[in-house]
Amino acid sequence: MNESKKILIIGIAGGLAQITARLILTENPDWEIIGIDSRDVSKVVPLKNLTAINLKYSRGNFENLFRNHHFHAVYHLGRISHASNEQNILAKRIDLSVMGTNRILELCERSDVKKVVILSTFHVYGALPDNSIFLGEDAPLRASIRHPELRDVIEMDQMCTSWMWKNQNSISAVVLRPCNIIGTQIQNSMTKFLSGPVALSPIDYNPFFQFIHEFDMASILYQALSKLPTGTYNVAGNDFISLREALKVVGTKGVPFPMIFSGGLNSILKKFNIDVPEYLLDYLKFSCLISNSELKKHLGPEFLRFSIKETLELIRLR
Amino acid sequence: MLNLEHLLLSAEDDLKINQIFHHLREKYKDYQDPWGLNLELCEKTLRKLLPVYRSYFKVRVFGAENVKDHSYIVVSNHTGQLPIDGMMITIAFLMDITPPRILRVMVERFMAQLPFIGDLSAQTGAIMGDRNNCAFLIDHGESILVFPEGVSGISKNTSDFYKMRPFTEGFYRIALQKKTPILPICVIGAEEMFPFVFHSKKLAHALHVPALPIMSNLLPLPSPIDIYIGEEITIPEHIETEATEKEIKENVFHIENTIKRMLITGLKNRRPFFDHIRKPISKFVIKEFKNKSHQ
Repeated sequence: MNESKKILIIGIAGGLAQITARLILTENPDWEIIGIDSRDVSKVVPLKNLTAINLKYSRGNFENLFRNHHFHAVYHLGRISHASNEQNILAKRIDLSVMGTNRILELCERSDVKKVVILSTFHVYGALPDNSIFLGEDAPLRASIRHPELRDVIEMDQMCTSWMWKNQNSISAVVLRPCNIIGTQIQNSMTKFLSGPVALSPIDYNPFFQFIHEFDMASILYQALSKLPTGTYNVAGNDFISLREALKVVGTKGVPFPMIFSGGLNSILKKFNIDVPEYLLDYLKFSCLISNSELKKHLGPEFLRFSIKETLELIRLR
Repeated sequence: MLNLEHLLLSAEDDLKINQIFHHLREKYKDYQDPWGLNLELCEKTLRKLLPVYRSYFKVRVFGAENVKDHSYIVVSNHTGQLPIDGMMITIAFLMDITPPRILRVMVERFMAQLPFIGDLSAQTGAIMGDRNNCAFLIDHGESILVFPEGVSGISKNTSDFYKMRPFTEGFYRIALQKKTPILPICVIGAEEMFPFVFHSKKLAHALHVPALPIMSNLLPLPSPIDIYIGEEITIPEHIETEATEKEIKENVFHIENTIKRMLITGLKNRRPFFDHIRKPISKFVIKEFKNKSHQ
């Protein structure tokens, strides 16, 4: 990997994207990264050979980016989050996550990109009471059975997967479905949930969780360039932990709450302008554990630096 | 303070429980259960339920010598209106079988989503009935308890007591895939715990529950329970994993008949309790089984 290469990272304003960029440039100082985001990029930590641009990937300028640069690889880490259930956000999500991703893939195909790495999520499987243990990559994507608002996540994942196999002879593409990524630089709902002063601790359910540290996730994103062949991969460590135990490790005070009233809880929280996505409340009831056997085949049995307990302890630094 | 548990539990049983859980803690020291099996809770529950097992239901176990030290798919008939039979079999495999083991009981999907009950049952070893879950446990050397009659096995009216429902075949596919021997079990005595029962299928459907028994008594009567453990049934080498339904059915039918034969023997030898109800039922069941065997 010593030859100078250009990498495009979509979603550079996110914590994970910036850690990944830093890792790539540390390992390959001659490489150049163009990072784009529709969010404000002024807070992106400046790095030598990293150019952060404020750009929507659904706009014409985005196409020009591909014309002006010859990208070796494209990281699509820009899936819009489900932090809000508002209808206008849902429309925006579908526009960006599904239509936008379609556009990215089309451009990659036209521009002779060699590698595409797409960050999906394990949320596509859904937290359902009848989930099997350690879901494999071929498990049905059932998240939208209970939460139709998640259809954009599933559509995006399925679209990427079918595109990936269709173009497998010309482009190597990897779809990653990580478990809960947590860390001090990442701003997702799970990190906020765990690192807040208090957290809901269900008294009637005690689901199991898998967590991966943001540095480990960045390392896997980097290794995906050279070590992962075309395919879909669940990303999780070998260990898992119950929610009550996780809260103990982080040191967050759990507020005992019966989840049978979680429907009512959500409407109360909304009144206080706290918008918890309903689908996330399901994860406080039912486990959704994923299998990492496919990833292990390529990265070896011990591919993570931090154990689940170390990962949880590290978010205390937040 | 008065400790009822100590009063009800004999010193011998107390010592035995300590030894059993010492053995189990050693066995599970490097294993993390993804359903949350909690040995401490299992021990506490056993201490509370053992007096019920010994003195209330006066459980007798026959054929304990048939159980070897390896994984099984334990297949039992399902009787009674509540899964008390499953509880008694589980206690039997802890207290009266060597080496002791925690049977992982397959439960209905419906159970997993119930608040409190889903979590509690998972902590005491129950898991949702799913082939992947079974395969995972067998790979980890666990034994699984299945009731192939399903909910219909325990949701029977008084007139249908001890009439076994047809077995589903899922368990045999798992046994075939993992080449795990089957251990047939027959429980006698659980039906009489709730002697007068009526099932309203319509009401159960309306309330979205698998079964809704309407019973004359809320608490189970102290009907003596006998657990018969048959000889293990090995999976024939010649059957492939993707065997046809016909082949599977033939083998499942053989297991079903083995348990039915144990049921007949068990009904003949059981201890007196509620005789005015169960004797006519026993006669009817035995007669019906003989008729079917002749056919």
